[in-house]
Amino acid sequence: MRRVPTFVLLLLGAAVCVGLDLAYDAAVSADRGYKFWLTIAVMCAINVVGATALNIVNGMAGQFSIGHAGFVGLGAYLGGFVAARVALLMKIPLDELRDNLSLTHSLIIFPVVVLSVAAVCALVGLVVGLPSLRLRGDYLAIVTLGFSEILRLTVLGTNADSAKNPITKGIAALGGSLGYRGPSVPGGDPGDFVGIPSVAGPFWIFGLAALMVFLAYRLKRSGFGRALRAVREDEIAASAVGVDPAKYKITAFVLAAVGAGIAGALLVLRRDGPGIVTPANMKFDKSFEVITMVILGGSGSVTGVAVGAVLYTTVFYAAEEGLLQLSRNYSAFADIDAAALRMTLFAAALIIVMLVRPEGLFGEREVWERKSKGGPKPPTSTKPAVATEAEA
Amino acid sequence: MTAALVLSHVDKRFGGLRAVGDVSFSVDEGSIFGLIGPNGAGKTTVFNLVTGVYRADVGAIRLHAKGKDVELVGLAPAAIAAAGVARTFQNIRLFASMTVLDNVLVAGELRRRANLVSEIVGTKTARDDEQALEARARKLLGEMGLENLADAPATSLPYGSQRRLEIARALMLEPKLLLLDEPAAGLNYGEAESLKEQIRTLRDEYELTVILVEHNMQVVMGVCERIHVLDHGETIAEGTPEEVRRDRKVIAAYLGEEEAEVSAEVVS
Repeated sequence: MRRVPTFVLLLLGAAVCVGLDLAYDAAVSADRGYKFWLTIAVMCAINVVGATALNIVNGMAGQFSIGHAGFVGLGAYLGGFVAARVALLMKIPLDELRDNLSLTHSLIIFPVVVLSVAAVCALVGLVVGLPSLRLRGDYLAIVTLGFSEILRLTVLGTNADSAKNPITKGIAALGGSLGYRGPSVPGGDPGDFVGIPSVAGPFWIFGLAALMVFLAYRLKRSGFGRALRAVREDEIAASAVGVDPAKYKITAFVLAAVGAGIAGALLVLRRDGPGIVTPANMKFDKSFEVITMVILGGSGSVTGVAVGAVLYTTVFYAAEEGLLQLSRNYSAFADIDAAALRMTLFAAALIIVMLVRPEGLFGEREVWERKSKGGPKPPTSTKPAVATEAEA
Repeated sequence: MTAALVLSHVDKRFGGLRAVGDVSFSVDEGSIFGLIGPNGAGKTTVFNLVTGVYRADVGAIRLHAKGKDVELVGLAPAAIAAAGVARTFQNIRLFASMTVLDNVLVAGELRRRANLVSEIVGTKTARDDEQALEARARKLLGEMGLENLADAPATSLPYGSQRRLEIARALMLEPKLLLLDEPAAGLNYGEAESLKEQIRTLRDEYELTVILVEHNMQVVMGVCERIHVLDHGETIAEGTPEEVRRDRKVIAAYLGEEEAEVSAEVVS
């Protein structure tokens, strides 16, 4: 089998992303109603980043993290903050910041954002993961849920009126429930914000999505990925062959935290994005969206999860739009509530998928792998009884 | 002769139950050592204490391997494995969703020199490393008669092959001390005979010290050079297979007091 060198793959990927970037701009300027689909494509790519990251800890390591949105939110706030600060430092005129940011500026700002978000999320991931992942069982689920809710409620509940000390004032600067729009304009009115520069063009977004899938796939195929899988299957047996479960689980969790943070940064810095971060980005149900993408695609399958993320995102957005069109154009459907009906249909579709394919669309296989390679399934009788901890 | 493993006055309690009480023994380097006793005697608990699954309440467990003395009490299981102790499990613990080859390769992680980044980038070092590990794993599978099953899911193997796969995985660790927990369980006479031969061959080829927990007397008496007998967590005898076979306390533990008197008379 011929092996393609990694740098060739990366160059190819970069070239494709440049193409996508140009195509995006061309489609926007053509202005023929493609915008809706472009937004979906961008959201797909961002969700691929987030879901692929979660798959490392939930799928590959088999640890149930349900606080992914906490890291997404952390990355979003931090990304917005760093991007705006760097832009101010570079003395970019405010009117250019939002929509006329030059390519050179975004090429400088964005890597700074990604690196700082990655560093902070890795550190926070370590702090959150360290105590819970040393233990076996479901502690991680509880801790991560608590983590994301603490972050969200802290931001939500801290406003400028109640802020007394420097720490609460700092948190209040994030805007509380009103959302964060970058730092205040230096010398401007109190309600005047710099705004969050949209430095993440399609090149970065599609590029990072592809890079993320590539890295996760290599990770899965590496010795690390194999050991991670062993930890998932049997921690006692893994440690008996020198694989320290805590070390592997924590590494997986930190990697997932970094990926989630980057997804969050992309979410707020994307071009034509909202330009605002709100505590709702960290809400519990956002975590479950990502978990759904992972389970839908197949926990542990890198490409499967990417497909799951694209499918989920597309259906999620397209269904609402479709129902809206339906209610507008046909009087028989005039009084349907598109948003509510969308969720109902969506839930039903997910239930059907889970009934037909409980292991997700692809199970643990990659998209191109065939089902059940190797020997036949064993008759249950050859399987030894489930081992208990005390074998004595 | 130096001792590969020395247990001194090891105690382990689970609540009110004294699973292992004041057990001391010493295993010579390169020997095959048997640990026997009736059900619930504490044999597997001793294994779990040596491998760090449990921590001894009292006592010391010293490993002599690779020219160093290591105190094992207090070390994590992974660190004990890294120090040179490998084991198999009474109830077979394979990585169920993984292939036979991958099961063995996991145990090679400690020997991997390439770090995660170079593995992901796919540097030459990383690829050479992986190739070397895979070659070693395949060789071990070959020795265990599993070479043709490398890509099969581990749990699709018949019971006896799963036991051999566990041994292959343990050997991948390049251990100095190998703990086998009932390797003959479920084997028929012929398979047990070849297991005896296999244990000796492995010991010689890999310069191992082997400790065996086993109920199959055909295997224990045939392959062990020394045997330590536990009952209710306490040592009741130690010696060569001949000595142990004749020991009154041992016979009593296995057969009950009265019958022991009868059979002791028969033996003497």
